[in-house]
Amino acid sequence: MSASPEPSLPDSAPPGRNGCVYAAAGLTKEYDDGSVKALRGVDFRIDQGEFVAIIGPSGCGKTTLLQMLGALDHPSGGTLNYRASSIPDLPDPAAYRAREIGFIFQAFHLLPTFTALENVQMPMFETEWTATERKDRAVSLLKSVGLEHRLHHFPAKMSGGERQRVAIARSLANGPSVLLADEPTGNLDSQNTEIILELIIRLHQEQHMTLVLVTHDPAIARRAARTIQMKDGRIVADHASISHPALI
Amino acid sequence: MSFFTIIIRGLWRRPVRTGLTLLGIAIGIAAVVALVGISRGFEKSWGAGAKQRGIDVVVSTLNSGLTPKPFSTTVRDRVAAIPDVGATCSVFVDLTSVESASMIMVSAREWGGFSWGNLKLVAGRMPKDAMEPAVVLGQSAAESLKKKIGDPLQLESKELTVVGIVDGGALVENGSVVLSLPLFQEITGNQGRINILDVRAAHEMNEAEMRKLCDRINSAVPEAKAAIASEHISNSEASRFIRAMSWGTSLLAVLVGVLGVMNTMLMTVFERRQEMCILLAIGWKRGRITRMILWESAVLGLLGGSLGVLIGVFGAKILQRLPAVNGLLEPDLSPQLLAISVAISVVVGVFSGLYPAWRSSRLSPSLALQG
Repeated sequence: MSASPEPSLPDSAPPGRNGCVYAAAGLTKEYDDGSVKALRGVDFRIDQGEFVAIIGPSGCGKTTLLQMLGALDHPSGGTLNYRASSIPDLPDPAAYRAREIGFIFQAFHLLPTFTALENVQMPMFETEWTATERKDRAVSLLKSVGLEHRLHHFPAKMSGGERQRVAIARSLANGPSVLLADEPTGNLDSQNTEIILELIIRLHQEQHMTLVLVTHDPAIARRAARTIQMKDGRIVADHASISHPALI
Repeated sequence: MSFFTIIIRGLWRRPVRTGLTLLGIAIGIAAVVALVGISRGFEKSWGAGAKQRGIDVVVSTLNSGLTPKPFSTTVRDRVAAIPDVGATCSVFVDLTSVESASMIMVSAREWGGFSWGNLKLVAGRMPKDAMEPAVVLGQSAAESLKKKIGDPLQLESKELTVVGIVDGGALVENGSVVLSLPLFQEITGNQGRINILDVRAAHEMNEAEMRKLCDRINSAVPEAKAAIASEHISNSEASRFIRAMSWGTSLLAVLVGVLGVMNTMLMTVFERRQEMCILLAIGWKRGRITRMILWESAVLGLLGGSLGVLIGVFGAKILQRLPAVNGLLEPDLSPQLLAISVAISVVVGVFSGLYPAWRSSRLSPSLALQG
């Protein structure tokens, strides 16, 4: 990538705005030689710019589904496409994870021996950016999540809300078009939960990113435009959230 | 932040463990430096001694022992009769304990032979005749025996007098007790026997001509073996044995270092499993994780090797000053040996990191969502 004096926030608008980002048909995932069936034939479609909440009790398969979307694991059967490409057959899944998606984890998953600024730079090692460009962009991202005063702090010296904001900045490092969030507020108090949700939703709206958020909390799921409800490895409901601002 | 920062931070997260691992490699490399340096120095000092005495060819039976077996002095006459042989000097050398020195070189030389020529008197005088009960001491030998001019020196059952201190120009020469051959033969009951014959060519010769001369000598005296002076010691079985022992011991020490690095890197992969999975999940390629582990191992090797070279040089210098070997050993700590030692250490580091790196490459990024 050519040097840019002032790195901008990711411009995630993809080709084919509002086109299909993910399409799954008959998606299954089995573990332990088929004795554990995490996904039992899942069909769905997610379009560009959608905010989809996947909700369900523990063990219903929602995290497994997120793993499939993030190319972290291979499905046992069915098809799963990202735009027109089959995710299990991607020639370079690491490049897909690095450039197309941003992960936000429940437990933040920051590297403890690196500062906030360094953590945000981690995904950028898979780009051609120079060290200066990486640093400038990380500063810019941390400013965008309100952490310009915590650049050189280590995760252990930060609150849970701050850590998750660093993790969000990291997820945006390479300008993804999709954010995959796994219980992003699961380890936060109610005040920080609200701050983080607002931040994620703002980024989704401002940058027209597709947002797939896994949660077991119906109140959080209601913030999404669409909710996919799962149970025992199957989708049992897929509907627009009636409380979503767009529908009120 | 560069990729190298990540490597250093990875090593620094467990400073005590990293330090102990470094020490493990350093000890192995120190053994390489000290033992191989001493073994090379041993050969080099003998070569330098031969050069100082102006010897072209050495005829001896040096094989498996540190000193050659005795043979008849008639060898001298047969060798002297060979064309291109300019001069010969009969010698009897022995590594033996003399008074307080547990091992010292005793060099008995043909009275009037050319091998006396390189000895420069620093104090006192040379023996007056072949049978005067007198010795001259090399400077290091005088120091280790704590002798000065006029002091008595007990050699086997005979009490001799130190009449001179000499500078022989080479470590082996300076570490020797030198006396006349007939006197030594009488003291030790080796009349008519020598164990080295120093030979000077009649004229300047290149290496090929020198080898031909050796062949002619070998044909004339089958009971001994002629060798070019500079190769005399390095080609001996004793020397090869010392070399093999020093490399063998060193490699054992290095093997311990390998296991130490491998253990550390495996612990690292185990401890940082979650972190590596996260890095995979956020887009790092497996190759980058593998490179990270290999680089950490290589840096461990480089730092351990550098530390080991320092310890090795320091250790060899201490060893050199021990009374038991004073004047006999001068380690050859050439830049080449030090560079090879560090290179070995880096290779050891990378090699030790291969298995842990392979383990890290098999991690699944999906584990990132399970923590």
